[in-house]
Amino acid sequence: MSGSIKKQSQSMNPVDLLGKIIEISHSNIELSSRIISILNIISRDMNAEEAIIYTFDKDRRLSCRYANQKSVLFKILNQYRCHVGEGVVGSVAQKRSPLFFTKRDIPPRFGCLFYPDLDGRIENYKLFAFLPLADDSYLYGVLALCAVSRDTLHDADKVFLSILSREVGGILRSYELILSSKKRISELATLTELGKMLTSNAEPRELLKNIALVIAKSLNATFVTIMLGYPFLKLDAQRFTYGIIEPSVQDHVEELEEAATRLLRAVSIKDCAPDEYEDSFKYTLFSAPIASKNRVLGTLTICAEKTGQSYALGEDGQYLISTIANYISSGLENTLLNTRLRDAVRELNDAQKRLIEQEKFRSLGEMTASIAHEIKNPLVIIGGFTKRLARQVDIDRTENKYIRIILNEVTRLESILNEVLNYVKETPLVAETCNINDYLDEIIYLLTSDASWEEIEISRSYHQGLSLVACDSQQLKQVLINILINAHEAMHGRGTITIQTKQAAYENGSFVAISISDTGGGIDPAIIDNIFNPFFTTKERGTGLGLAISNKIIMNHKGHIDVENVAGKGVTFIIYLPVKNHTTKEELL
Amino acid sequence: MKNAKILVVDDEENIRLLFKEELEEEGFDVDLASNGLEALDKLKKGRFDLVVLDIKMPGMDGIQALNEIKNANKDQPVVLCSAYGEFKQDLSSWVSDGYVVKSADTRELKQTIKNILGL
Repeated sequence: MSGSIKKQSQSMNPVDLLGKIIEISHSNIELSSRIISILNIISRDMNAEEAIIYTFDKDRRLSCRYANQKSVLFKILNQYRCHVGEGVVGSVAQKRSPLFFTKRDIPPRFGCLFYPDLDGRIENYKLFAFLPLADDSYLYGVLALCAVSRDTLHDADKVFLSILSREVGGILRSYELILSSKKRISELATLTELGKMLTSNAEPRELLKNIALVIAKSLNATFVTIMLGYPFLKLDAQRFTYGIIEPSVQDHVEELEEAATRLLRAVSIKDCAPDEYEDSFKYTLFSAPIASKNRVLGTLTICAEKTGQSYALGEDGQYLISTIANYISSGLENTLLNTRLRDAVRELNDAQKRLIEQEKFRSLGEMTASIAHEIKNPLVIIGGFTKRLARQVDIDRTENKYIRIILNEVTRLESILNEVLNYVKETPLVAETCNINDYLDEIIYLLTSDASWEEIEISRSYHQGLSLVACDSQQLKQVLINILINAHEAMHGRGTITIQTKQAAYENGSFVAISISDTGGGIDPAIIDNIFNPFFTTKERGTGLGLAISNKIIMNHKGHIDVENVAGKGVTFIIYLPVKNHTTKEELL
Repeated sequence: MKNAKILVVDDEENIRLLFKEELEEEGFDVDLASNGLEALDKLKKGRFDLVVLDIKMPGMDGIQALNEIKNANKDQPVVLCSAYGEFKQDLSSWVSDGYVVKSADTRELKQTIKNILGL
């Protein structure tokens, strides 16, 4: 572009010149090329060796941004920034009125006013013009012209320059508008995406990951990291990051997160480490607290390259990041509520299912009980008369053998019926205070006095000073004997049973744990879930009620039974009974 | 000594027959009633050393009958004999002199009766 301009005639009349400048300023060429082209034209046509434009930088300071191609001073001037009101340039910006100096009225040590380093280096310049680049309401920069080859400025030139400065101001203004609308669009897009995300039903972990991703993508960030202040929502991680946090940035991230949490507002690296920010540090970092009504849930930190195409992360990135963080906090709050609600609903459903199960079981129990009773009378009659028959038939007759078979089967049926009735009936607890260690010894003594226990070694390890429990000793005896006999059978009468007692805590409650381990090869994992189900048995002649009854008894004691199974080795039953205290005592008694 | 007289009350005919035969074999005189009302009637008309009383019966059940019997004569020995074990926990059954869960094996019933009668 500048090439084509050079070819044009040296002297252009002001109207043609303005026409050319307007044409350039309205073209689609990239902003800096447009401005530089215009500056080239001005420099050549106005016989000014230097045509320089100051604009505001990110700190609202005037800095030398554009110059004509042949400019000599640009290299010196662009190392220096000035505040509004400071020096000649700052003063023009403040007053928004042009200043012109010719050889005659250049004040002493003018270079110093212009730029300290220029002092004594601009003697050969004979003309200076400084024009504010402004429209009616806003100032966009300052245009400075310096000439060696001319020392006067006509009124027509001044008028021309003021028109020109308005035109250039217009270019800068539209550029700013474009930038800020791009920024707004990018912000809006981010917030829209976030909105969609936050109203979705995603799991918290996915949600946080996606939030980081969306922010990073739409803000063109190097990385985005969300740090939760404390683990919640059942999340196993506390940091959710999209992108890679460079080791050189790591410390700053933590520093910013700490500051954001402490100050309860968005902070940038500029606040925390101004030196780093000013110097060669190539990133810009923002952190904002994710705060709900009364607590800080965590922080959101965004990092972008300073030179990166991140429209939204400008100097006022703090506002955007605060908005996003607020968005996230309300989203998280919602998710938190949703999760709680979901949990509550699930618990409710479970409770309902359990109730239905219990109700089913109760009616099944009632039916079973009534059937059992209906069967009982005929059984008594069959058995009773068969016994009478047995007494009358000669012991050696074949009929007697048959009668014995009938009697055995009747006895078996009766014992099944008794167990069924035992299981389904509601047995109130007759609770007494009990020292489990002594009690275990008593039961072991009772059992092992039988010859079938001769080859079983009982290894005991009791916790001395075990808490007392309130229990129905008859029922507890039934449970312990049941488990011990199961162990005996699993080991085919030969092996080791290890009995341990200890204190245990479970769901905020204090328990006494009785663990009984055998070396009987364990339970097939395929059936382990069924062992407490009524009528489930692996024995040829079992009712499948032993463990079901045991479980029910322990549940009635407000305790529970755990099973630890090592297939191929053995199984451990652990009975937890609540430690005796006022509540459980009242409930039990 | 004259044989002890026992009244067996049960709604099941075959149970009555079984108990009658089993108890007679032990040397008792056995009379039968098929429900509570009939039992009360028989107790009014004659004296029995002991009553064996079923609990689940149509009309007047065993527990009710037990109360009536004990109200009329608190010294009348009564043994409850039911297929149900759980009435043992029912306080109102505690006024009886014995409680036997019905079984094909009648030894417990016989022993309970003998104990009460001091035989």
